[in-house]
Amino acid sequence: MIPSSPFLCVITDEAYCPVTLAEEALKGGAAMIQLRHKTASGSQLFTWAVAIRNLCCEYHALFIINDRVDIALASEADGVHLGQDDLPAAAARKLLGNSRIIGVSASSLEEAVQAEKDGADYIGFGHVYPTVSKLKEHAPLGPKNLQKTVKSISLPVVAIGGITIENAPILISMGASGVAVISAVSRAENPSKAASDIISVLQKSVQ
Amino acid sequence: MPHNNRSRTPLPRIFMISSGEEQTEGRGELIDHLDLLPSHIPCIVQIREKHLHTKDLLTLALKAREVRLPTGSLLLCNERADVALAAGLDGVHLPENALLPDKLLAFAPLLIFGCSIHSPEALCIAEQSGADYLLFGPVFDTPSKRKYGAPQGLKKLGELCRASSLPIYALGGVTPQNAAHCMDEGVYGIAGLSIFRDTSRMAETLEQFYSILNP
Repeated sequence: MIPSSPFLCVITDEAYCPVTLAEEALKGGAAMIQLRHKTASGSQLFTWAVAIRNLCCEYHALFIINDRVDIALASEADGVHLGQDDLPAAAARKLLGNSRIIGVSASSLEEAVQAEKDGADYIGFGHVYPTVSKLKEHAPLGPKNLQKTVKSISLPVVAIGGITIENAPILISMGASGVAVISAVSRAENPSKAASDIISVLQKSVQ
Repeated sequence: MPHNNRSRTPLPRIFMISSGEEQTEGRGELIDHLDLLPSHIPCIVQIREKHLHTKDLLTLALKAREVRLPTGSLLLCNERADVALAAGLDGVHLPENALLPDKLLAFAPLLIFGCSIHSPEALCIAEQSGADYLLFGPVFDTPSKRKYGAPQGLKKLGELCRASSLPIYALGGVTPQNAAHCMDEGVYGIAGLSIFRDTSRMAETLEQFYSILNP
């Protein structure tokens, strides 16, 4: 279901075409792509979703859609990623069945534990480092809190927030199954190389 | 053409759209409005609260679902078939830039799907995609739609009604005074937002529409 550890998830950046970015990320070896766009219309999201799903099939990667369970069902995505303000995981599970993946964002151990109870397949834990991608209500959680969460639940934990090639390896050492990035890939001069560079440091950190 | 089971029951002729001003945790005026619907007047009620997070939209939809609505009424939400399914609503209203019904019927075959249309081309696409009804407007001048340009007028409404076999609701500045003109153009029903806002007059307005639309 979830890619084997350690893996890279690339989340689309609203400033760039998500399909182009997904293809670059996949070329670089990303094992999971998350389509995240809060302002696009339903038909636009669906068009992107079908294109990215096809690319993910080609590259044997997983395709996840943020928030929109309806678009995930219509485009036959591999799953959804749900924030704390999105549909509750239990409600999403009823719609998606057991074969699709549900990821849930958690910014505390309590939220992670709750997500596990609600039937999530993985946790997106963060933000672990300071980030400019989103305005944040709380301080960065840091690798220590990540480790505590990994040890307290049995689900795979994907670290997110402010992750770069320099600060990614420690997160894998702390038990994260993978890392999720936006700008570290999307804003790189060569996104596909940036993705493959991150993956190679992740792999070195487990050797 | 896809069909759904629900389309065999007659649709209500009055289509009420929520204010767009509901708050988190289901606080707002929608539930009060639903409580005040006269029991003999079936309505379509569209929960259209695009600013709400999905979780809050679900909470509101679940609260609305608990209200005993007039027999034959239908509760819809805007665009989100996932929320409609999770809350047990009757269907989904789709703006023109949303997914088309055929893509949603694939996983939600029992929901009713309606489409906003603004052109004969959009009408044709929605019809072929399995829409149960169409919503067209703004027909008349209305404060909430002024930013989208001039009203589309009765003539265009009539052309669209004659071009489709689907029920069409007229939206935008429709009042009990001009509803008969819409009927003359072949509409199935009328839709409104502002006209139903004033709870002290809502029941009376509904009665007036009901007697015009159900002669």
